[in-house]
Amino acid sequence: MTVATAQQQGGGTGNLYDVLELVLDRGLVIDAFVRVSLVGIEILKIDVRVVVASVDTYLKFAEACNRLDLESGRNKSPGLPDVVGQVTESGSRGKTKGALSGAAQTVSDVFQQARDESQDSGSRRRTTTRRKEERE
Amino acid sequence: MSTYVYGITRTPAPPLPDGLTGVGDPPRPVRVLERDGLVALVSDAPDDLKPKRRELLAHQQVLAQASAERPVLPMRFGSVSQDDATVGAVLAERAGHFRERLDALEGKVEYNIKASHDQEAVLHLVMADNPELRAMSEANRAAGGGTYEQKLQLGEKVAQAVQAREGEDAALLRRALEPLAAEISEGPDSMGWLANLSVLVDREGADGLLAAIEELGTSAPQLDLKVNGPLPPYSFVEKSDAAADATASAGAARAGG
Repeated sequence: MTVATAQQQGGGTGNLYDVLELVLDRGLVIDAFVRVSLVGIEILKIDVRVVVASVDTYLKFAEACNRLDLESGRNKSPGLPDVVGQVTESGSRGKTKGALSGAAQTVSDVFQQARDESQDSGSRRRTTTRRKEERE
Repeated sequence: MSTYVYGITRTPAPPLPDGLTGVGDPPRPVRVLERDGLVALVSDAPDDLKPKRRELLAHQQVLAQASAERPVLPMRFGSVSQDDATVGAVLAERAGHFRERLDALEGKVEYNIKASHDQEAVLHLVMADNPELRAMSEANRAAGGGTYEQKLQLGEKVAQAVQAREGEDAALLRRALEPLAAEISEGPDSMGWLANLSVLVDREGADGLLAAIEELGTSAPQLDLKVNGPLPPYSFVEKSDAAADATASAGAARAGG
């Protein structure tokens, strides 16, 4: 079990990455204002299930089971490989390497890539600051 | 010069640190626009604003500063007005609505909770719950890993079991949070979490919420839980569906009668 709490109070940056989708996808929208184009970041909205039904996933699970110490799984109460303690950035990243979170990892990678691209090729994208013309 | 809008609150304008800056490179100074008892937190909008990490962080930081002690309606990232006058006109036009939302959010903050499975722990759990899976896995292991077919069969069944467990654990998390939340909102389903929930709680109720999450983490060791907060109420700036439905059905009842 791990519980990681990031306090955001007082303007601390906390872990912005974890709430990025709220900043991008929630919050007040007013039609009299134009929104900056989020081209290159909309990849965030792709709906990815944690467990992807694919041959690849199945094989990863089978291998993970093969490595699993079933004896301890049966004799101890289930789920006891208990990771308690301070969760560090690298710690939680390390835990996302399994088959389970492969999809999440992929999305983060894609997102990272999209972010990098948006920094590199910004000149191709225009920030729309004009008021919507269809507004009456 | 177009105007970038961070959020809306009431007068008096919240105390902001000297030199607080927002989006842009160089970062543009944050200022306030007042109209009809409402305040918009704004800055000049850079011409080439893009959704970079730095800009998102600036948006979030301005809101965190402004909402340290009072409710602020956070704008979605990237809201740009033609000019200051248009912002003022929007405040005036919708003053009633903004006040109603600020009243509803008075003394409340958002916490976002994301849950994922610890892979090894959840595998132990589904194996312990399912003798058939255990037998298949042991047979495969005895056969040196099993054939490709056998691996696929086992993997598919395990994937199904884990997926079912994701659903159960998402419901478990929701049940744990519901009694403590004034409102609850599903976050965008995008990052591969088995659950992504935002809850609206009283500022004073935050400790109870954190304690409940800690407790859940202990009783359900297969869960990795990430908690972020207090946040400006991004997920609660508009009336919840439940509240909107109630209003709509009350209206329909009136229309029908």
